[in-house]
Amino acid sequence: MNPVLATLLLVLLAGILFTLPLLPALTELRLKRDAQPLNVIQQHAGEIRHFSYGFRSYIADLLEPLRECVASGTTAHGTMPGGDQYLLLGRADDTRLVSTGERTATCQLVVAAGMDVVLPDGITFAKEVYAAGEITGGEESVFRALLGEKDIHLGRASTVIRWAHAVGAFRAERDCDLYGRISSDREIQLESGCAFQRLNAPRIVFGRSDAEETSLGAETVPAPLPGGRRLVDEDLEIQAGEIVSANIVTRGRLHIGAGARVLGSVKSHGHIALEAGVHVEGSLISASTMHIGTDCRITGPVIAEHGIAIETRTRCGSVQAPTTVSAPTIEIADGVAVFGTIWARTEGQVVPQG
Amino acid sequence: MLYSLYAIVILILVYTARHYLFTLNRLFGFQRHPYIDIDTAVWPPVTVLVAAHNEEKVVAHILAALMSVNYPKDKMVVVPVNDRSTDRTREIIDRFCEDHPSRIHPFHRNGGKGGKAAALKGAMDLVETEVILIFDADYIPGSGLIKQLVAPFFDPEVGGVMGRVVPLNVGTNLLTRLLDLERSGGYQVDQQARMNLRLVPQHGGTVAGVRLSALREIGGWNDNSLTEDTDLTYRLLLAGWKTVYQNRSECYEEVPETWQVRIKQIMRWAKGHNQVLADYGLELLFGKHRATLRERIDGFLLLGVYAMAPLTLIAWLLALGLFYEGVAPLHGVIALLAFTAYAATGNFAAFFEIAAATRLDYTRQRICLLPFLVLGFVVSISSVSRACVAQLMAPITGEQFHWDKTARFRTTP
Repeated sequence: MNPVLATLLLVLLAGILFTLPLLPALTELRLKRDAQPLNVIQQHAGEIRHFSYGFRSYIADLLEPLRECVASGTTAHGTMPGGDQYLLLGRADDTRLVSTGERTATCQLVVAAGMDVVLPDGITFAKEVYAAGEITGGEESVFRALLGEKDIHLGRASTVIRWAHAVGAFRAERDCDLYGRISSDREIQLESGCAFQRLNAPRIVFGRSDAEETSLGAETVPAPLPGGRRLVDEDLEIQAGEIVSANIVTRGRLHIGAGARVLGSVKSHGHIALEAGVHVEGSLISASTMHIGTDCRITGPVIAEHGIAIETRTRCGSVQAPTTVSAPTIEIADGVAVFGTIWARTEGQVVPQG
Repeated sequence: MLYSLYAIVILILVYTARHYLFTLNRLFGFQRHPYIDIDTAVWPPVTVLVAAHNEEKVVAHILAALMSVNYPKDKMVVVPVNDRSTDRTREIIDRFCEDHPSRIHPFHRNGGKGGKAAALKGAMDLVETEVILIFDADYIPGSGLIKQLVAPFFDPEVGGVMGRVVPLNVGTNLLTRLLDLERSGGYQVDQQARMNLRLVPQHGGTVAGVRLSALREIGGWNDNSLTEDTDLTYRLLLAGWKTVYQNRSECYEEVPETWQVRIKQIMRWAKGHNQVLADYGLELLFGKHRATLRERIDGFLLLGVYAMAPLTLIAWLLALGLFYEGVAPLHGVIALLAFTAYAATGNFAAFFEIAAATRLDYTRQRICLLPFLVLGFVVSISSVSRACVAQLMAPITGEQFHWDKTARFRTTP
């Protein structure tokens, strides 16, 4: 073979072998199949009511027909632009349609009621349920999502899979599983045995509503926090009844004795234990776990990176100064009240008092 | 010569192991996002500083975005820091100020020392709030970003906070696509792993925040620093304050679209980093302060990143020199095995990190561009080495402190 040709062929072959692994890269560079910016959430979809707002927009076109159903006392069926089938209930006793005509283990319709609605036991609602009035769910029911313009009341051992929003109060009887986002513009009340993930309302109470009703209105606004920091490299104990006016940061564990008061925020790298009646007029943050005793008052956010247990009659935040309680796991006793948000990334559980 | 090579090889191995540690942590470790769930609180007053030097192409975008964020209007003041602009920046800012007089308090600076830190320092007279957020003018904050960046300050240990930077002009050309990959690796893996492992997340000086009392405690902005953000990170650390990273607090930025601009940018970063290494490196490692052992080690390694570029070049030269001198390190065979092992794993550490980042971002096709990162690597290693040499020669050449602003490419609104 001609040496020049051989050399050229060698160079060509080497070039091809070098270029071959780059083909996917060259193709992507040319075609720009994945050249869009990452999808940054610009409009704060983390807002707890995001889905309920979206659903309200989705059913906006159904509201006028729903009013007509109520005025004429009839029901109507149809298909949403997205393909979902819906059922409009225009009479209070139309709930029988759900309990008889639609009585199967699963209701596949978007249900919209123009007035108060009482739903039967044991039904799985695979689509959203909307009511212009109150929603009273049966026992052991499963809901994909609920939107109530007034109160929502779930029966024992019911499940919400994605979200629920009540313009009025939201109440769940014992042993309910509330996945996703549960919000109310007024109040959320969960009984013992309920599991939850994310709750938001001006007032969230755990246990029976007659528990400590009078003290729930006690409102405190966070005092201006002191500027000073107290840095501690080991375990720290604040004695019972002691008043500390500083922000506290400790590398070890933190124990706060009964009745002590901290005028500032608290951070511990280890476990935090609060005995009964402790007041923290700032945030309470642990890089580990946290146990909050009975009758404590925490003004600011309560955050633990691994888990929180809160005992009865403790209050976090107030109506005027709402706050957030957050940890992967949260165990919260009957009689506790949180004003604002409580967010258990893995699972929250309401446990009986004591 | 041989022992110098060994020393550099050991350093390279340390950085390789660090890449793998961070990547594996992000893929399989416990992920820390302790403050991201704080969505309800009595939000503190906040001042948002917007650094702007000849930013007529972009400043209107950020001011408009800030006026529509989800933060109590009576608790947020925006201070556009107009640093000696000679274009229409002042005019645009003043127009926004007329529309929102109670929410925008502009700071116009016509002279004085150059650089972002000097401008921010000058604007501090207008700051009355404990929480300060900082954005460069080419950023576009989303609606919920301000709350997300303020939330960590409820922790009394936090002195600084850093959000994630996401390139907006990704598809412009090869450079922007490579920078997009680099940013993914740097934030999605590197910064978050440091947060997870309680190391030293780095303050980036934009999409970031600082606590006023912490800033005062450490003596304010250092206007002699080319990278005031890195300088701030280390001074906060030495004073016992933590800087935290919020990976889910994302904000769009504009990345350089030409190699010249990129080279200038990376040279400034290299000089700034090295400056901080010289200023605080030894104190960080051996000084008496509250940083933990892991923070000391990681902090030092982070500062040494840019010094590794010239060291790598030196190592290549040493290896060549030793080869031609006939030296066979580690009896030859062991060296060959070690070289082969490193070629099979170590060389890919940084690429593995970026690949993991794209996976975590749920992007699929852009990972194909990974081989082109070699091009970015070559440009970086030469630019950073040039910067390091220039810095070492500065006492002889008399090179003065000079702050190069990164050019913008967005179309004027």
